[in-house]
Amino acid sequence: MELKEKLKILADSAKYDASCSSSGSTRKNSNGIGNASFRGICHSFASDGRCISLLKILLTNCCIFDCKYCLNRKSNNIKRAIFTPEEICEITINFYKRNYIEGLFLSSGIIKSPDYTMELIIKTITLLRKKYHFNGYIHAKAIPGCNENLLKRLGLLVDRLSANVELPTNNGLKLLAPNKSSDKVSKIMKYVNDNKGYHFTPAGQSTQMIIGATNETDLDIMDKSESLYNNYKLKRVFYSAYIPVNKDKMLPSLSIPPLTREHRLYQADWLLRFYNFKVEDILDKNNPNFNLLIDPKASWALNHLNEFPKEINKCSYNDLLKIPGIGVTSAKRIISSRKIFALGFDDLKKMGVVLKRARYFITCNGKYFIDRSYFKKNFIETNLVLEDKELKDIGRKQLSLFE
Amino acid sequence: MNNIYIYNNNFISLLNLINYLIKNGIKPFNIKDSFYNQTLLDNIINLEIEENTHITNLFNNNILKTIYYVYLSEEDNKELILYYFILNYFKYNETVIYRKNLKCVCEVLRISNYVSRENHKYKGFVRFKELENNILYAEIEPVNNILSILSNHFKKRLKNELWIIHDKKRNILSIYDKKNFYITSDDNFKLLNTNISENETNIENMWKTFYKTIGITMRKNDKCRMNFMPKRYWKYIIEMSDEI
Repeated sequence: MELKEKLKILADSAKYDASCSSSGSTRKNSNGIGNASFRGICHSFASDGRCISLLKILLTNCCIFDCKYCLNRKSNNIKRAIFTPEEICEITINFYKRNYIEGLFLSSGIIKSPDYTMELIIKTITLLRKKYHFNGYIHAKAIPGCNENLLKRLGLLVDRLSANVELPTNNGLKLLAPNKSSDKVSKIMKYVNDNKGYHFTPAGQSTQMIIGATNETDLDIMDKSESLYNNYKLKRVFYSAYIPVNKDKMLPSLSIPPLTREHRLYQADWLLRFYNFKVEDILDKNNPNFNLLIDPKASWALNHLNEFPKEINKCSYNDLLKIPGIGVTSAKRIISSRKIFALGFDDLKKMGVVLKRARYFITCNGKYFIDRSYFKKNFIETNLVLEDKELKDIGRKQLSLFE
Repeated sequence: MNNIYIYNNNFISLLNLINYLIKNGIKPFNIKDSFYNQTLLDNIINLEIEENTHITNLFNNNILKTIYYVYLSEEDNKELILYYFILNYFKYNETVIYRKNLKCVCEVLRISNYVSRENHKYKGFVRFKELENNILYAEIEPVNNILSILSNHFKKRLKNELWIIHDKKRNILSIYDKKNFYITSDDNFKLLNTNISENETNIENMWKTFYKTIGITMRKNDKCRMNFMPKRYWKYIIEMSDEI
């Protein structure tokens, strides 16, 4: 088989993995080729608008498992291929030299056994690091069920080592991926978290969940994310709208992937990681799913309108973060500038704080942006939804996936 | 008459001039480089000022970087903006960047962010081609003059390669010889042999195949892609060249 043909098959099989980030590592170039960029670098953007940062491929798409949702399951009749370690190294180095990519993302179907597959991955990456002196970013997927000793060896070679949860609940997993148990995945996460350091997976770990393949609620999903962040200090949880690649009576038949839902989950995920929100703040048993019309933060604010409007010149950093439309950068700018002078609406604009949404929830020196009598739930909610529609029309259907 | 002060087309010269003007209480109408086209009302002033490189010690690293980035921009009145920014820096020290009620501060931050963002984009969008003599060659057309800061990035990354980055808009080249990079005008340095290496087309085709494969058809979103990778970059991004 021609190398180009192989690349096509094994990139096609890898593309449903959402993770693309290349940030978080400070690996230096020790007299070879490549280094890591702490901020991460996007090298291109695919036709679906997602960033291309890493050469995302499988070592092989042969697999002994038969997970229902997966393109590479045993029972599918598709073209199969396997890369040799040298082939992967050659492609990586040649792409990297030309600045097409930031590094390598290597995952694999499982051949023979998890341990055997891991050995192959380790062999490939050892070759790339030691013989080709490659110091760029490498994200490897650990194979659930492998020996801990193999995790250790792989972790010392790569920048990020991760395993995919795939489905948020055990029931979902039993139904669709009977060979994959959540214990095996959490074992990997625990091991990586316990050993993380300067030499061992410096960029930490991430995971992915498929959205909409089973009937879990947003609450189930966010609960799972929260526990992953708390227990294993994950850098990221990626959410991947389910795309039907297989026909199966156990799988829903969707014509459009649930992209808006995916978007809301990402927004909520940001709230957990950077805005000091907890899942119980934004979802509960009575409202287990996000409102698709309004983003989770605005929705929260509308339900807690008694805490608003907040005075920009007085309220704490944490309170600033609770204001819809104000992010971490804006909040920090406000804190540092208001020490020097009292901020008005114009000053906020000058500083680059976007007021479109925030203005409904704040006062500057006691002043509301229009007559205070308009400060009512109905008025604000209507305006937010209308304004968001405008945004949707210009095509903000998707979220970029870089950190 | 409008007093226009002229500096010597380099960063150090500009800093020395601004420092001199501030120290002597001179308010310039504008500050321009020596290519400036004089108009009727202008009074051109060329001061003989020593180009002292230690001038950079007046600034902390963060401020110096910000000022340098503004200097690299193509903004019309960047020199005058820097004059007012530095004037305020001498008054308020590091806290000057929090004084966002001052127009010069907002402008300086806006421009330096713009340059920094463009540099970051180009870190990803530069595409090298391998020439017959193993030199990696890339062409760019950035809005701002980012060649020096961009070269710094590739100096670390492609340490053991020979590479050349060619800014086609400004007709300047950055040439790296495995130790340092040198920036020169392309009048001084002509590439005699720009034939691509034997393997090059093959690798480019592999990359194009990968690019086409990795997009998920059911999630196709041209607008989102355009936001992150606007068309003005496409000319030199080989995987996009088919779509222009």
